[in-house]
Amino acid sequence: MTAPLPPFRVLRPQAIEAAVAAGAAPGGARYLAGGTDLLVNLRRGLLAPAVLIDLGGIAEFADIRCTDQRTRIGSGVTLARLATDPAVGARHPALRAAAVAVAAPGHRNLATIGGNLCADTRCIYYNQSEWWRRANGICLKSGGEICHVAPEGKRCHAAFSGDLAPALIALDAVAEIAGPGGRRRIACADLYAEDGRAHLQLGGADLITAIELPAEPVRSGYLKERVRQAFDFPLAGVAVALATETGRLSMLRVAITGTNSRPFLVENTAALLGRAVDEELLGQLDKLVQKQVRPMRTTLTPAGYRRIVAAALARRLLASLGASAAASVA
Amino acid sequence: MHNAPPGRRRPTPAAGVPLIDGIDKVTGRARYTADLEHRGALVGRILRSPVGHGEILRLDVTRARRLEGVVAVVTGEDCRHTYGVLPVAMNEYPLARGKVRYRGEPVAAVAAIDAETAARALALIELEVRELPAHYDTASARAPGAVLLHEDRPGNIERAVHHVFGDPAAGFATADLVREACIDCAEVNHAQIEPHAALAEYDPQTARLTMQSVSQVTFYLHLMLARCLQMEESRIRVIKPFVGGGFGARVEALNFEIVTAMLARAAEGRVLMELTREETFITHRARPQTSVRIKLGLTRDGRLTACECEVVQRGGAYAGYGIITILYAGALLHGLYDIPAVKYDGYRVYTNLPPCGAMRGHGSVDTRHAFEVLLDRMARELGLDPFAVRRRNLLVAPTRTLNELAVNSYGLADCLDRVEEASGWRGRRGHLPRGKGLGMACSHYVSGAAKPIHWTGEPHAVVNLKLDWDGSVTALTGAADIGQGSSTMVAIAVAETLGVPIERIRVVAGDSATTPKDNGAYSSRITFMVGNAAIDAARRLKKLLIAAAAHKLGEDPENLDCLGGLFGSTRATQTTLSFADAAKAALVNEGTLTVKGTFTCPPEAQGGKHKGGAVGSTMGFSYGAQVVEVSVDEATGRIVVERVWIALDCGFAINPLAVRGQIEGSVWMGMGQALMEETRYLDGMPAHASLLEYHVPTSVDSPPIEAYIVESIDPNGPFGAKETSEGALAGFAPALIAAVADALDVDLDQLPATPDRVMDALVARRRRQRLQHQPAGDAK
Repeated sequence: MTAPLPPFRVLRPQAIEAAVAAGAAPGGARYLAGGTDLLVNLRRGLLAPAVLIDLGGIAEFADIRCTDQRTRIGSGVTLARLATDPAVGARHPALRAAAVAVAAPGHRNLATIGGNLCADTRCIYYNQSEWWRRANGICLKSGGEICHVAPEGKRCHAAFSGDLAPALIALDAVAEIAGPGGRRRIACADLYAEDGRAHLQLGGADLITAIELPAEPVRSGYLKERVRQAFDFPLAGVAVALATETGRLSMLRVAITGTNSRPFLVENTAALLGRAVDEELLGQLDKLVQKQVRPMRTTLTPAGYRRIVAAALARRLLASLGASAAASVA
Repeated sequence: MHNAPPGRRRPTPAAGVPLIDGIDKVTGRARYTADLEHRGALVGRILRSPVGHGEILRLDVTRARRLEGVVAVVTGEDCRHTYGVLPVAMNEYPLARGKVRYRGEPVAAVAAIDAETAARALALIELEVRELPAHYDTASARAPGAVLLHEDRPGNIERAVHHVFGDPAAGFATADLVREACIDCAEVNHAQIEPHAALAEYDPQTARLTMQSVSQVTFYLHLMLARCLQMEESRIRVIKPFVGGGFGARVEALNFEIVTAMLARAAEGRVLMELTREETFITHRARPQTSVRIKLGLTRDGRLTACECEVVQRGGAYAGYGIITILYAGALLHGLYDIPAVKYDGYRVYTNLPPCGAMRGHGSVDTRHAFEVLLDRMARELGLDPFAVRRRNLLVAPTRTLNELAVNSYGLADCLDRVEEASGWRGRRGHLPRGKGLGMACSHYVSGAAKPIHWTGEPHAVVNLKLDWDGSVTALTGAADIGQGSSTMVAIAVAETLGVPIERIRVVAGDSATTPKDNGAYSSRITFMVGNAAIDAARRLKKLLIAAAAHKLGEDPENLDCLGGLFGSTRATQTTLSFADAAKAALVNEGTLTVKGTFTCPPEAQGGKHKGGAVGSTMGFSYGAQVVEVSVDEATGRIVVERVWIALDCGFAINPLAVRGQIEGSVWMGMGQALMEETRYLDGMPAHASLLEYHVPTSVDSPPIEAYIVESIDPNGPFGAKETSEGALAGFAPALIAAVADALDVDLDQLPATPDRVMDALVARRRRQRLQHQPAGDAK
């Protein structure tokens, strides 16, 4: 049998303001978009909100608008559409590649960009049934006292495993948020914190309404390593965006998912700018990545592998994007 | 395209026929157990042990019983009888008594008016356990001072097997190369798509129980229900609805089935038990984690001189099929190649994990893997082609192996030829770019156990045919169609033998009230045994029909035959009689006809006289050879399977369409085990127990599979057929490992070959190469 869902009420607001008002109501509410992450977690008893706010009725969430300055993507746009929209694919290859890499076609038809950005962090000790978690001793993220991944530590190490976030971070995207205090804009890189239990820098009633990406063309790509080639979360996922001038790097942004409690922008890449993409440069990026990722025992695949493969993917992307840049110069 | 052998007609069309229940399945009409009408049925749920090993100090169900909406609660107190698939090793209770031995073991169960009430009732059950040290691996379970899981099994050894055939020491002495390998294969699970479910109804007025379940062997379930509920067998009816895959998971009667029946009797009503995917994984009964140490001797030209093999299987907490599995692992070292001497030591070890059991390729897969991997390495070391090494060691049928297994037909040489040619082996191997490789391996499997577990002296299979006034022929069989197509096979066998279109045959299967007893779907027995019984029944019926038609037509029965549903003279006369008219004629003075066909394996096919000698004995082995092509990404360790060529000798393909499906399914399942499937326990907790964490390959991961059917025409098989559903599985993993070795010169000793393990092997190779380039004094 499929474990029964806990009881909840479903609201279907038609406007953003109504949704935010419902989200702020006392008693615990969760926004529901595609439900591909949330419903699985509800069935496992990981959370039991009294109210689900179905965002499917809000028309403007489903828009993609391209202007000369920017691409604006409503947070309710499905991953299937992101994967096939010609404008998105042409302007932002990394975003397209990340959308295609998520789960399987059935999930992508339902899942949304907003939902993927707000997906819960994952851990082999957490994403289990209630019987399992009780038998094993409730973990920090489930409201217990101890993190089974790092029992000495004080924080939860569950890993962020969304595929779109690194692409959006590398592409310097901004999230538009509607909240009880009105609307605001946050760089996608700043949406997250390194804490598996509280990785989202959003209030309970905050709602991502749209994502905006700068329109100037950059080369970008996303690569993901996983045990099987569909229907699997990333062991590590890497997005790279770069620009070159006369064969030398003029901009480089590398963002990583799957290894930490947040997707993050690799730091200290400025040292790589102004140089051609060669073996030495690739080696330096490899080192930067290996130093900054923090994979823990949150997956059945060993953490050491996730560290190595994150660096290998970053290197591969930089090499191929750098090579195509060089080719276009020649 | 293969041609039918002389005297054997292909069903029309020659490519085979779609499964007779296929339309029901693809249109959603087919009812699986959980789909059965269950309005008004109570919901059954099981309370499971949170600890891996312990004594039950207190189990109090009072509060659960008092909860409104709870109709029945049962515990170990309600069944004092053990169950198990082997009469000599029944050491398991449907609900734990005294001790719990693995995390997830059923302890109590409730039947309530709905799922919420059942869940609340489980939460009200008070269980107090004094924890004992738990052993989650074989080394710890076998260590001196280890706590025993079962008092009567010192060292936690469920069964040790020591078999020596021929003179291994002399064999190794004559070898030019002797090598050893230690290969570790992870535990895997069947991961059949339909989760476990059972619907039981107990009628207190008649004291009868009706059980509908996902069983592969309803007869075993029937026996265990009678034993555990202490009911007369005649008061129990077992029905098999559509079953969504088995692969061995449902051969044994399973704890939840017996518990559902206990609840139904206690509630005096109907109970539906649907297990979650997690519970389905915990019920387990699949292929154990296996460590193999194997040693082979080869002459310079590739002739095998001796084999020595030690196998340790992590069996889990109860006996289940364990004794058979550890015996199979040794017995099926034989029967594929001609080996002059074989020594086998097998150890089945109790551990505090869910019990293992039978799984596609039962017992043979992991030892075959180790054998083929080592043979490939030795061939490379000797500079021999792997195909040449196999050809150097072929058997010649008919023959008997050292351990007295009968080999009556043997198409391995043809299989080798087929895949060698199809894959372009000679032109391509060794000429592929770096990172790409070709590997090959062989495998085989039995066509049914020649000596069944519950040996009663009855025939191995019985099929009844009913011919009625309407001209319909109904085949009644207890054989469990679990998706492999056995009911279609029965329909074809009867139709072909009678000489009528398949549409005239209706198959009724798997209902103990109407169908004859059958030993069910295990060890690939159905085509061989039930197929032969179906042919026997059809021949008997045809004889009656021909006699009636001859009378009607005024012909000599000797000259009559039925072809395409028409009875007519085999000579030139034009007079014919329709099947319906022949049927009417046959019913005169007789009424509805029921005839019976049987099949029995002769005693000489039932294996050697040594202890455990019956295991592995069969009337016919299938043989397979396959070539796997891979690309390996050195930066990430990812293996991509590019293509597979597989040839299987199934004797004769009664339904080529279904045969291809089974071959592809075996290869695919072998691929899952080779690349990614693995159960993983964290302190005995099943961390893999979902289809997200237990990785079965998706369509994206699946390569094109070119399947070739080889027909050796077995002298005893139905139309010459043998098994087709398991033999191709065991060859995949070693062919893949050989292909990776060919691609990158790395030896992988562990299954599955996940990217992290490939990376570890690549790192080890680089280290090895560095050491080789250093001055000798530097290396330790």
